[in-house]
Amino acid sequence: MAKTIIELRGVCKKFGKHVVYKDMDLQVREGETLTVIGGSGQGKSVCLKLITGLLKAEEGDVLVDGEEVGDMNADRLSRLRRRLSMVFQGGALFDSMSVLDNVGYALREHTDMSDDAILARARECLDMVGLGSDPHLIDRMPASLSGGMRKRVALARSIAIKPEVILYDEPTTGLDPMNIKRIGEMIKKLQRELGVTSIVVTHEMPIAFDVSDRIAMLHEKHFPFVGTPTQMRRDAPQAVRDFVEGRV
Amino acid sequence: MTDTTPRKPIVARMGETILAGIEWAGGIARLLLISIGVGVRRPYGVYDIFYQIVALGVRSLALTTIMSIFIGIVLTWQFGEALMDFGAKNAVGSAASLALVRELVPGILALTVGARMATGMAAELGSMKVSEQIDAIASLGADPIKKLVWPRVVAATVALPLLSVWGNILALGGGGVIADLVFDVPFMYFYETYVDQLVIFDYVSGLTKSLVFGLLIGLIGCYQGFTTKHGTEAVGISTTNTVVATSVMILLMDFILTTIFLPI
Repeated sequence: MAKTIIELRGVCKKFGKHVVYKDMDLQVREGETLTVIGGSGQGKSVCLKLITGLLKAEEGDVLVDGEEVGDMNADRLSRLRRRLSMVFQGGALFDSMSVLDNVGYALREHTDMSDDAILARARECLDMVGLGSDPHLIDRMPASLSGGMRKRVALARSIAIKPEVILYDEPTTGLDPMNIKRIGEMIKKLQRELGVTSIVVTHEMPIAFDVSDRIAMLHEKHFPFVGTPTQMRRDAPQAVRDFVEGRV
Repeated sequence: MTDTTPRKPIVARMGETILAGIEWAGGIARLLLISIGVGVRRPYGVYDIFYQIVALGVRSLALTTIMSIFIGIVLTWQFGEALMDFGAKNAVGSAASLALVRELVPGILALTVGARMATGMAAELGSMKVSEQIDAIASLGADPIKKLVWPRVVAATVALPLLSVWGNILALGGGGVIADLVFDVPFMYFYETYVDQLVIFDYVSGLTKSLVFGLLIGLIGCYQGFTTKHGTEAVGISTTNTVVATSVMILLMDFILTTIFLPI
């Protein structure tokens, strides 16, 4: 079995009086695609933000390669975030920057690459997410892109610095079926070709079954079920199957 | 439907408001310390700072120009009318100079141009906050305070004094034109009495005020943007609060600085 690269142990997280996680455990293995499913507003995205250190847990451990994220100072967090990339729900592209500057942002921040090298890498990344055919795309501003294109540019931005782990926050929300399929194929392609570990947060079951090696169901502030898609269909508790099958 | 929630006693509400104010002031002070902490470390972000100085300064130039000319015109007119009653209209330059350089140009520019800068920052950073762009900067391994707050705070601190210098020149010009046209005080005579009345400390105190107001404006604008809650409505609330907070803090700081400078 592959080694555990990310581990959340006994995590408690709350916002004011609203408890999101209570004694929550989750393990992510190197090279796998783990999908986190659960109802809206249950705190699926919080899980990703705990892993990247954007949020801190009140109790418990959030470990990446055995290192506690909550104890990291700014420099160590910055180094960690070069290894973990996050694709945000709405893309979170920088409005004031062109597609090229968005995709090349981390490269400019953390490498000494020349402008030409950054341009070449940006084109390569855009090509990987299926946006390589439009030579003028790199000069366009995010506001002029469609929702699907924005998500793919965000994906290109996240892979530009060659991360070991990609965290996808609702990558298909608000997209049409063709774009959903396209994003799903891309997640699988990136895992296949780059060997990255992926955590996908979604509440859409088709994409969960399509891309996942394992699925974790968030229910009542923890993950009562973590297993393969086959196990989920066969062995999952009733609450999980109700969610999967959309039973009210 | 009738709201049956019991209202909190007035003392409790006052206490909450005071605590919120203390928390807000603490947040601003903390942001200042963090910004200085990350700002003095390499790379210094010189390009970002210059970009913001140009953006804030150039975008505010038209408003500064209009405001300053009219401050000069109105104040000189008011003083001129009052001095005419005493047959001392020739002293209008001397009378206007101190009020304009020490107080009105830095103060009114901070309240108008500065509030415009602060709300712009709050709206821009607030939008970035609700669309997760600030989280995206952090998740790409960069420091949002270093990338967004530090350049804006430095830029506002530098730009407002520069705009004040420009504003002082225009206020003098506006006052001189009115003195000449309305009170038959020649422009050059107005200019000489205006400048003769001033000592170097008057310029220093006026520019120091602008510098401190600029710092406050940068900090308040960025803090309000960074603490914007969720949704586009929150951006609107944040921007509105920024106008109120900026105005109150500028007037409060003006009082403190005047108390310090006047006895000198």
